[in-house]
Amino acid sequence: MTTLDSRPVVTEVKDNYLTFTRGLLSWIFTLDHKRIGVMYLFAVLGSFFVGGVMALLVRTKLLFPGKVEWMTADEYNKAFTLHGAIMVFLVIIPSIPAALGNFVLPIMLGAKDVAFPRMNLFSFYLWVVGAACAVYSLMAGGFDTGWTFYTPYSTQYGAGGTIPVLVGVFILGFSSIFTGVNFIVTIHKLRPPGMTWFRMPLFLWALYATALIQILATPVLGITVALLVIERAFNIGIFDPSMGGDPVLFQHFFWFYSHPAVYIMILPGMGIISELIAVHSHRHIFGYRFIAFSSVAIAIFSFLVWGHHMFTSGQSPLMNVLFSAITFSVAIPSAVKVFNWLATLYKGSIAFNTPMLYALSFMFLFTIGGLTGIPLAVLSTDIHLHDTYFVVAHFHYVMMGSALIAMIGGLHHWWPKMFGVMYNEFWGKIACGLVFVGFNMTFFTQFMLGSQGMPRRYYMYQPEFQIYHHISTGGSYIMALGFLITAIYLIHSLFAGKKAPANPWGGASLEWQCTSPPPHDNFATTPRVGDCYDFSAVRWDEKQQGYVIDTEAHLAAASSGKGH
Amino acid sequence: MIPTLLSQATNDPALGAGLPVTPKTFWLPEGASTIAPEIDWIFNFINYINYFFFVLVVGIMFVFMWKYRQRGREVYARGPNHHTMLELGWTIIPTIIVVFIFFIGFKGFIVAKTVPDNAYQIDVTAAKWYWKFKYPNGATSDDLYVPAGRPVKLVMRSEDVLHSFYIRDFRVKQDVVPGRYTSLWFQADNPTEGEDFHHIFCTEFCGTGHSDMNRKVFVLPETEFDNWVVEQGRWLDKVSDEDLWWKAGPQLYRACASCHTLDGSVGTGPSWGNYDGNGNVWERTKAGSTHKIDGGKNLGDIIGPGKEYETPEGYLRESILNPGKHLVDPYGNVMPTFKGQLSDRGIQALIDMMKNLDKFNKDGTVKPDAIPNAGGAAGAAK
Repeated sequence: MTTLDSRPVVTEVKDNYLTFTRGLLSWIFTLDHKRIGVMYLFAVLGSFFVGGVMALLVRTKLLFPGKVEWMTADEYNKAFTLHGAIMVFLVIIPSIPAALGNFVLPIMLGAKDVAFPRMNLFSFYLWVVGAACAVYSLMAGGFDTGWTFYTPYSTQYGAGGTIPVLVGVFILGFSSIFTGVNFIVTIHKLRPPGMTWFRMPLFLWALYATALIQILATPVLGITVALLVIERAFNIGIFDPSMGGDPVLFQHFFWFYSHPAVYIMILPGMGIISELIAVHSHRHIFGYRFIAFSSVAIAIFSFLVWGHHMFTSGQSPLMNVLFSAITFSVAIPSAVKVFNWLATLYKGSIAFNTPMLYALSFMFLFTIGGLTGIPLAVLSTDIHLHDTYFVVAHFHYVMMGSALIAMIGGLHHWWPKMFGVMYNEFWGKIACGLVFVGFNMTFFTQFMLGSQGMPRRYYMYQPEFQIYHHISTGGSYIMALGFLITAIYLIHSLFAGKKAPANPWGGASLEWQCTSPPPHDNFATTPRVGDCYDFSAVRWDEKQQGYVIDTEAHLAAASSGKGH
Repeated sequence: MIPTLLSQATNDPALGAGLPVTPKTFWLPEGASTIAPEIDWIFNFINYINYFFFVLVVGIMFVFMWKYRQRGREVYARGPNHHTMLELGWTIIPTIIVVFIFFIGFKGFIVAKTVPDNAYQIDVTAAKWYWKFKYPNGATSDDLYVPAGRPVKLVMRSEDVLHSFYIRDFRVKQDVVPGRYTSLWFQADNPTEGEDFHHIFCTEFCGTGHSDMNRKVFVLPETEFDNWVVEQGRWLDKVSDEDLWWKAGPQLYRACASCHTLDGSVGTGPSWGNYDGNGNVWERTKAGSTHKIDGGKNLGDIIGPGKEYETPEGYLRESILNPGKHLVDPYGNVMPTFKGQLSDRGIQALIDMMKNLDKFNKDGTVKPDAIPNAGGAAGAAK
């Protein structure tokens, strides 16, 4: 009982998962969830770079209200479509679950791997095939439908690469479903002794809720894009009215997936924030159960509100009223989470490490993103704001300012664990500041653009809007600089970073109780778990330059209920 | 609590000429329709709630960040793990607030969706990448002209893909969907002055020219508008006499098409085509045929020299302007009069079309090879 728990004060372990086997093939055929997570991570970050370049092209064009010689309207349409499709399907949806979640989830459970390691690898290769389809579509003429693929434009017009990219989305959907299935089974079956549902780290609750949405909603997307391909390729009328179809039906199908997909993006981010705020405040999370249940509540409600994307679509006013009313139900659990995070800061011991700065940025940006959802959910004001830059600003605050910022915060949080090295904290903070300032410059101005009536997806615009676009584009350059610095110091740390201790931040969940980087099997024996938010047994250890957990005290506190 | 600004909206165009109903603000463009004040009020109200909660959350966050920053090596912090009443409180209070917000938004929406009975209808066609507006007298325009102080209802359809019709100053927006009709309404009380106008934007992505699909709205004082629409309606006068039958006829026929078919099939009214062996509408009228009217009489009994109508044209003209006078068996008196809506020239165009009915497809479009062109014999007069 005493022996195995002395592991946290790990002496040297010879092999870790990075050095356990060597060679390219050992990566290509790996079944190790950590290696798959790392491959996902670099694939996602690579896509993020491409999507980011597209965004900068779009923003640069918008410096000028009229036509520009170096970018036609069609090229502009393809650029913003590519930006949206890449960021949604290749970056944000897989980023947290498939990259960070894959790495952290089994370790948090004290497990050796996910329940279905082969399916996990298969899911990654499906992602690769899906991404390849998107690349092929660029060679086949690109696609210019917007990431929403609205019919009949997408089936009757649309550039030549529309079918390949739809096939890609179909395949990416399966990748996402497999990850979801894997996580659900893993959480159900591989929890260690003592880890009841309410002892799980909140990140796992969030991943669980996300996985539910992934497996229930994604099939609908698959069917929808398959129908689109059938209509476009064989002229079978499903959505096109000239062949007896209904374009509004497509919107229902599409948003039945794509609204829950918004929560596939944000829920894991919220899970990360719960970890980050508790660990870096060295303080028990406030209102564990409310946060856990709010994740599940959001997952359930997310299925009932898709019609709020269609208030002007021509659907019946009665449906508009119902969808507007139900939409507000999603606001409540989101607000509950924010209040609980705030209360976690109360009487904490807040360390402003880079991950924590991202978590605090998240709270700032998500508050704006959430509150600006209200005028969009309200029927009469949404009529004015729908399909303007106000919507663009709102969902960038939620998808980028929240989901992606959480992902980058989580990346900084677990980077020492993943690669066993520390990055440069100074540059980490500078970059976080640049991203925060740049982001707000870019997107806050877009709220004003939108409420002043500038429609989205416009190549040319009225000169009165130009000043806002200048500020917005300037902000996007500052943000890009922040990300560039981040890429440089992270890559630099891989080669020259200080060696990371097992527990650099003072976390109490299981991933901080194995070495950095973890050994191939994560844990030699199944660990016993206490309360992962009870930091009373965590001490700074000068010799290791990291934190250590007095495991016996930690377990004793949990069993006596002192932790709660 | 909830202002009913609608009822206070001024109905005196002269008073507010050129003035916005609500001025441009930091957030919103000028408002120029009767619903704008209500929408703006709701938007601003929500904004104030949002400011409050933003300052609350971020303010508390900054205070805690300062007050509870880590000092030295102190790591473990003790604080409450949960507080059920507090947590229930911050679940229930926001719920009450959003229910209230939903209600005021719902109320504004119902007003914006309820079309007044006396609304002036304008038909809108959207296509890549233009808008076409058609007024009740058949006049058409590329920019939208509306009468001040009078509710206007737009009935919209699309010829190709989704579009969305948006007048930001009126706070109205509606997708235009191929295969169905959608509508919206507004009332602008203050006329636009001179070159001033309100923007129409297309807000549903429709391809290359999406951002070009901008047009203007001009609000004219009511009498000025009436004159404009009559003047605009004179499009008929610009069609030469020779071209009336195929340029103007089919366009006017669209108003007839819902009751009178061209192929002899049964409609609400007698078909223009041959349905009983007496020939099409022109042939059976001209021949003074035994086509039955008025419960047993023949058409030939009333048309001809010395009879009620000297010429078949006279009978057809009467049928359009005074349709209840003679009824084709077995049809009842259901056709509205077109007196005042159709000029003599318009009637001439329709009769010319009837005379050339064999040159039309059954959907009312002229057969392409029948169109007189510069080289063709029929077009030589032009």
